[in-house]
Amino acid sequence: MYRLALNMLFGDRAKLAMLLCGLAFSALLMAQQSSVFFGIMSWTYTPMVNIRAQVWVSDPMVEQVNDAKPLRDTDLGRVRSVDGVAWAAPLHTSFVQARMQDGNFKLITLVGIDADTFAGAPAVLSQGRIEDLRLPDTVIVDEWGAALMGRMGVGPDGKPRNTPLQVGDTFEINDIQARIVGICRVKRAFTGGPFVYTTYDRAKGYTLGARRTLSFMLVEPQKGVAPAELCDRIERDTGLKAWTSDTVIWNWGERSLARNTFWWFWTNTGIPFSFGTAVLLGLFVGIAISGQTFYSFVLENLKYFAAIKAMGAGMGVIARMLFVQAFTAGLIGFGLGAGMAQAIGRVMIEKGMPPFVMYPQILWATFALVLGISFVSAVIGIVKVSRVDAASVFRG
Amino acid sequence: MSHLAHTVAVRASGVDMFFGTPENRVVALKQAGFEARRGELIMLVGPSGCGKTTLLSVIAGTLTPQAGAVEVFGQRLDGLGQEALTTFRRKNLGFVFQSFNLIPTLTVAENVMVPLLIQGRPFDEAHERALAIIEKVGLKGREEGRPNALSGGQQQRVAIARALVHEPPLLICDEPTSALDKDTGAQIMQMVRDLSRSPERCVVVVTHDHRIFRFADRIAEMEDGRISRVVDDPKLLDTTHL
Repeated sequence: MYRLALNMLFGDRAKLAMLLCGLAFSALLMAQQSSVFFGIMSWTYTPMVNIRAQVWVSDPMVEQVNDAKPLRDTDLGRVRSVDGVAWAAPLHTSFVQARMQDGNFKLITLVGIDADTFAGAPAVLSQGRIEDLRLPDTVIVDEWGAALMGRMGVGPDGKPRNTPLQVGDTFEINDIQARIVGICRVKRAFTGGPFVYTTYDRAKGYTLGARRTLSFMLVEPQKGVAPAELCDRIERDTGLKAWTSDTVIWNWGERSLARNTFWWFWTNTGIPFSFGTAVLLGLFVGIAISGQTFYSFVLENLKYFAAIKAMGAGMGVIARMLFVQAFTAGLIGFGLGAGMAQAIGRVMIEKGMPPFVMYPQILWATFALVLGISFVSAVIGIVKVSRVDAASVFRG
Repeated sequence: MSHLAHTVAVRASGVDMFFGTPENRVVALKQAGFEARRGELIMLVGPSGCGKTTLLSVIAGTLTPQAGAVEVFGQRLDGLGQEALTTFRRKNLGFVFQSFNLIPTLTVAENVMVPLLIQGRPFDEAHERALAIIEKVGLKGREEGRPNALSGGQQQRVAIARALVHEPPLLICDEPTSALDKDTGAQIMQMVRDLSRSPERCVVVVTHDHRIFRFADRIAEMEDGRISRVVDDPKLLDTTHL
């Protein structure tokens, strides 16, 4: 009977198309909006991705990576003395205004790294050398920032240059010259500002008047010491807060600063509500369109279901037929919707806006919700058919 | 006596059937009695509202009467639960409906296979048997077409094939010719007679169509919810009020 159930479904192409449209649109909306949401949320802990270290140490009151509470420089020595620490390097992060050639200002994320070890340096340089940061007044700018700030540059003719900044170009931070010696490739940040790397000591100069400039400490455990274990030791011996660099937000057990940052934004901003509303909208639209269309499909076939009942099919068989029809439509609708979400995601990733991260969990959740929509649709149909009297087939 | 019991296919006695609330009751059957024999084609006739369709539904086990006894091929239907009635219909009944009730999104062959698939027969076996009976009703070559592409007469032939494909002992036909012209109606009735004629099968036909009375072995006339008389010769009936 299931084969016939499928033939009944595929035989009514107009209804099937409508049903698939509803389910696919619903799956698309849920998967795409969730992926953009997780993409945006992944930007919140971008510094954890761009500045690589196994253990981060911060002030105990720090809740997330974008909100550093400066430490004393002497804390660095205390951390270095903890058993299991191979090395510890200072890190400065702050948001400062950079003045461009055309006179405009741009908010940047200034990252000051240790000039001796270059701990926390960007992994990929598309232009220049990291060692050149040891030269006076030098910085490394990320590719996206170079393009953005390039549009604010002025050419030799005095007109906007509209080309990305290059090695050798300059701008100012707090009236101090910053000469570009490298262009790096890093992940973009939630704050939208370009990443500008310099040395820790020069960063002190760029942030005039700041009494404390040590935002974090980057720590490498000795061989054989697990990062989480070292975090415990640092906290116990120094009273500071130590974090692992794990950026898998599903990893509930880790002491991850990235995960804390993710959940800080989750609970303290309206982002989840906004995207959650869109996902719920997708769910409701799916239930409304698919449920209504499937109900109309059942209504249209009601007399045939009544005839099948009269011929001796129990409600169990008919219910299974309806489930097969609804779940098959759900499966195809999910495939279409998820496929479209993937295609849109590819375009987004190429353009870099908006961010798009489609975790497998998003696909599984969307799949479950689409099947839920199919289930609801089938149950609505089953209730209708169960109320049909088999004797009604004799009433013309 | 035992011989008589052996020949009876359907027996209903003292059947009461009413619809609606006790305050607003519509009586459909009132102490109705009916008997059909194995091997015969019996027609139930009467004016609209006399209770023909209700009696047919009771015999088919799709309606349970408030009172009375119904026995079909030795099986008492009154008192059976819904599940048992469903199983009974699946094994013992074939249906031909007034409006054919062929599923338009299925092919002719798939429509004919439905009773076999409901019985749980394998798809391939059901398909093979469907093709055989479709050939018998003269529609060879139309198996993979849709019912909507067929004429009314051809659709009713498909319905007959569907009703007989699982070889049920009782064939129930509800106004099988009402949607057909005179000649086609006659052809359909001839087909019902030819294909269903078997010493172990009984055919009950509800009809208004006096042009097909000649195909009946006996005709039971209904009036006000009960059988008023049973005749062997249709000429004995006054058809002016039918």
